Amino acid sequence: MTAPSFLSTRPVFVVGIGLHRYQRRSDQTYVSLGLTAVREALTDAGVHWTDVDAAYTGTALLGMGASRIMLSRLGATGIPMTQVENASASGSSSVAQACLEVASGRSDVVVALGVDKPRGGLGAAPGEAGIPNLEAGSIVPFTHFALLASEYMNLHAVTDEQVAKVAVKNHRNGSQNPFAQRQKVRTLDEVLAEPISGSLTRLQCCPVGEGAAAVIIASEDGIDRLGIDRSRAMQVVSSATKTEALYAEGVGIDAALTAETGTAAFEEAGLEPSDLDVLEVHDAFAIEELLYAEALGLCKPGEAATRVESGDFDIGGSCAFSPSGGLLAMGHPIGPTGVGQIAEVVRQLRGEAGSRQQPNARVGMAHMVGIGAVCVVHILRKP
Amino acid sequence: MTTEARHPHLLKLVDPPIIVGHRCISCERIAFPPDPYGCEKCGSPADNFENWDLEARGSVRAVATVHRHHRPAPITPFTVAVIELVGGPVVKAIVEGDDVVVGSSVEGFLAPEDKDDAGKVIVDLRFRIIQ
Repeated sequence: MTAPSFLSTRPVFVVGIGLHRYQRRSDQTYVSLGLTAVREALTDAGVHWTDVDAAYTGTALLGMGASRIMLSRLGATGIPMTQVENASASGSSSVAQACLEVASGRSDVVVALGVDKPRGGLGAAPGEAGIPNLEAGSIVPFTHFALLASEYMNLHAVTDEQVAKVAVKNHRNGSQNPFAQRQKVRTLDEVLAEPISGSLTRLQCCPVGEGAAAVIIASEDGIDRLGIDRSRAMQVVSSATKTEALYAEGVGIDAALTAETGTAAFEEAGLEPSDLDVLEVHDAFAIEELLYAEALGLCKPGEAATRVESGDFDIGGSCAFSPSGGLLAMGHPIGPTGVGQIAEVVRQLRGEAGSRQQPNARVGMAHMVGIGAVCVVHILRKP
Repeated sequence: MTTEARHPHLLKLVDPPIIVGHRCISCERIAFPPDPYGCEKCGSPADNFENWDLEARGSVRAVATVHRHHRPAPITPFTVAVIELVGGPVVKAIVEGDDVVVGSSVEGFLAPEDKDDAGKVIVDLRFRIIQ
């Protein structure tokens, strides 16, 4: 027996979403990026900043103390503000904290924001842990995933072209998304050009730029008290976070960790993989969509590439994978990414996604992994 | 002329070279790299570890040639592989030769990487196909 979900004790909803377009690094300050997203989310929800009880800011690169100098420009109301860092899943974890705060009963309306600007490097702590390794310096993230691609493609006899079709699909989705960093339709030949590492090419690797995304999380009490439009409020039915456990030697940690976190999320929601209509997945590199489709139980091991080719993961297929364009096309500005996924899932469940709308979307998942390794999964449902 | 490994406590400079991992005396887990803190399986502190010699020989699980790299070294293109050692642990390392594919049997050898100001040669472990 699993314990009842904290999210069923006091239900929580996403009532507002807002974004600043993801873009290449510019002179725009993070304050300006973040405020754009939060103002849009407040307007979308139809609530005022003075209605907000607390704020969590997902950021991995900005440095300490990012929140108040930004959010006080909406009015220095003195509410609790906390930065949340969880590598690539920082934004996802800010949403998780906001959900926990509302479910606990401490707050009725909480903002979860993600904002970042790229710096020279990621400054990842594991590299400072004092555990030298043979490959130090030669294996950067895209090569880590190129090696996973090599193993997967060899095991399942999958070709370069089949993996590249993930990127063709996600670039096509991104071309319909005004908030995406990359908004161009790309041909298979374009995607296969410009090798980076192993079979991965430039357009099969996500761009790391800047941007911001914000969501407003509210309780039913908050929705009623503030007169928020219930028909546009989407319920968060699971919020699962896990870290890498000890797996058998050589097992791909990213997929194994995703499988465990996905199982926990489905159990919490009382749902099955086949219930998903929309899935925003951590496709920082094209191969990942195939690995995680299988790890999350959307198809059998070795089947994902043919499912992509058949159009099953397209908008209009059985489950639309990364209708936003995913990390590959919408982009991966780190802090905003996980929050932006939630915004896209909410837009899809509301039926407000325009030309990239998945028909009759009722259940959606957002999935991020991050260095460490961590995995954060949320499932949302149209009530 | 003296020779030193780039990561001295990961390698024994003998022929053929030995990779040094650790074995946890409490739970018998053998792991690489050797860890200075504690056991991921049973939580024992690292003073419960003994050094564990691993043969630099195994089979290739995955391989990728790197065309673009964010760091000055190694110079591109170079090829890296995931190697399942005969002694259990899995390591990632640079491989030499265009003939390495998934499933290849490979062995480690010491390749000179650099020379310091005193003329000391810095070597590192690389892998190649067993002929």
